Amino acid sequence: MQTVLNLLEVEPIRLLVSFGAVLFLVLNLAAVLTMAERKVSGYIHLRFGPNRVGPRGLLQPAADVFKLFTKENVSPGRSDLWVFLGAPIAMFIPAALVWLVVPFAPNAVVADLNVAILFFVAITSIGALGVVMAGYGSRSAFSLLGALRGAAQMISYEVPLILSLLGVVMLTGSLSLADVVRAQGDTIWTWYFLPQLPMFVTFYIAGLAEVKRVPFDLPEGESEIVGGYMVEYSGMTWALIQAAEFASMAVMSAVTVTLFVGGWQPPLPFLDLGNFNWVWFGIKTALIMFTFQWIRWSVPRLRMDQLMDLGWKILVPITLIWLFVTAGAILIF
Amino acid sequence: MLSEERRAHHEGALTEPASSRLVSPDIRDEFGLETIDMNMGPQHPAMHGLLRLILELDGETVVRCDPVMGYLHRCQEKIAENRMYPAVIPLTDRLDYFANMHNEHGYVLAVEDLLDVEIPPRAEYIRVLMCELMRLASHIPSIGFLMLELGAFTPILYAFRERERIQSIFEAVTGARMMFHYIRIGGVKADLPPDIPQKIWDYIESLEDHFQRDFVDLIAENEIFISRTRNVGKMTQEQAIEMGVTGPALRCTGVDFDIRRDYPYSIYPELEFDVITDTAGDVEASYRVRIAECLQSIRLIKQCLEKMPEGEVMGDLGRRLRPEEGDGFGRVESPRGEFAVHVVSDGSDTPYRVHYRDPSFCNMQLLQEVIPGHYLPDIMPIMGLVDPVSGGWDK
Repeated sequence: MQTVLNLLEVEPIRLLVSFGAVLFLVLNLAAVLTMAERKVSGYIHLRFGPNRVGPRGLLQPAADVFKLFTKENVSPGRSDLWVFLGAPIAMFIPAALVWLVVPFAPNAVVADLNVAILFFVAITSIGALGVVMAGYGSRSAFSLLGALRGAAQMISYEVPLILSLLGVVMLTGSLSLADVVRAQGDTIWTWYFLPQLPMFVTFYIAGLAEVKRVPFDLPEGESEIVGGYMVEYSGMTWALIQAAEFASMAVMSAVTVTLFVGGWQPPLPFLDLGNFNWVWFGIKTALIMFTFQWIRWSVPRLRMDQLMDLGWKILVPITLIWLFVTAGAILIF
Repeated sequence: MLSEERRAHHEGALTEPASSRLVSPDIRDEFGLETIDMNMGPQHPAMHGLLRLILELDGETVVRCDPVMGYLHRCQEKIAENRMYPAVIPLTDRLDYFANMHNEHGYVLAVEDLLDVEIPPRAEYIRVLMCELMRLASHIPSIGFLMLELGAFTPILYAFRERERIQSIFEAVTGARMMFHYIRIGGVKADLPPDIPQKIWDYIESLEDHFQRDFVDLIAENEIFISRTRNVGKMTQEQAIEMGVTGPALRCTGVDFDIRRDYPYSIYPELEFDVITDTAGDVEASYRVRIAECLQSIRLIKQCLEKMPEGEVMGDLGRRLRPEEGDGFGRVESPRGEFAVHVVSDGSDTPYRVHYRDPSFCNMQLLQEVIPGHYLPDIMPIMGLVDPVSGGWDK
């Protein structure tokens, strides 16, 4: 046993094993999140949600996955097959990769990069590629429109997203996510969401748009373009796209928690759980994800031009102004 | 494909702010830009029934919109010619399946016009009571549909909760939840069960309690809802009248027209209600009109329950109906607008010709006039403004 654990000290093996663990987590998270989504929507709609498979419907995700595995994978006759089949993978891998730099607890991070924030920004923007591939490969007007919307939206919202996390970088003086969490301290009022409130709100909204959740789910737009870029997918390719969506939603809430809500830090010093501080991280991430779902079932969707207006005319100026305020405050104090 | 002439007509129909959204022809030629042709429907999950829209898209802007209907055509008018007069009523249930009572009422009024019979007053009250409940059961879901089309899934479930409760009342009264066959020539099929007036009263009061909360507070002030619906699908009074639009879609432009008041039938002259109008003529205005009309329906239902006389519910017509030669005409205000029926008799026991003027069909003309120039996602709220039902436009 000891020798096996010693093996983990060897860097490539540690990386492989921990990445495997993270991948396992992400895939399961996607299944759990679909269940959570359906339960949350159920209670918001004044109904029960799935409650037939297993105790209180808890085995529903397993049944869903089994169904998707057994479904035929249909691809349109005129599709560009390699692009079509590559798109779900190109969507899923970036969503899973970001987990590499997310610190779960003081020493529980797969790769404590000193440029973790840069890595996060770079990898998230690759996600747009998968969307464009899906839309182009399907060769359908609906998919194409969805993909173009998706590309425009994800690239536009990259700007406020990056600008809004610059404030945190300035306060911390480091691009490492673990450093950001350490700098926030173990009391709720020293976390960055208070001094950086406009940035936090902007990051949250831009994050919603980046993971294409309501009210920014225009690339999907099921009432006009019927699922957009994923309209032609079925079976496991569709499941992979869904997994990618849920994984990126989870990773976006995890990064929000890490940057603004104190990561693994307990809200008050006496609540410190020592080695079990990842529980705090889990609770906060789950709360943010719940707000994503709460919003999803409460508001209608924006239109493309309104989305662009919101991004460029409101969010970007707010972040720029607060960037100056933060810089001034750092200079004075 | 359309002829050049018609295409030019459609591009000319664009209003000024809309045409500014289009790429100018110079740029289009320079970069060799083309428009996309797109088929929306007939199998489209968000479309109202089996409607196909042929769209020509310039980016996200709709240049041309051609509604194609006929996917649910069931030869209703022809079948009616081979049925005896009373046997046509169940067919009318299948026209606009969100306004079954109004269809029955319209047809029955036309036949009664032919026959010249006396309707017992209690039957008239029951008819109006049922029609107003039906209006609630149609307007509330149509608000839900509008929200569904805007991407909010929750209101539709709240709306269908109300519809289900009203349908349960219908089930207790008529024995069916949708296809009632309740309003008969000369009266109604059966009297109300003794406990039903109280049940309706209780339901209406509970609806009044949470109507504001579920369908107004949740929706009306929502920033995204306003930005998605204000000035969308805007039409002028002249346009609306020219296209023969009726119902909430007409009243939201400010035209004060309601069959119940302007061409009164049944006992509407004895009841107090307001005709709701709005001036904006856009999707938001149609939402406001529907909300206010729901409240008026509640008012009418209460009056019906209070004033309802005792007595018979069916006039004496004899066993077999053979109207004299001539024609009968009946028009009612259905939730979507004017539903009119024209019945021609040749003296036999089957109608010589039955024609339905269905508001879904007539309001549909709005689409090709109003949609060009809007963005693609605006199509769905405009469908919510028109609120057609596919059983209505395809007879």
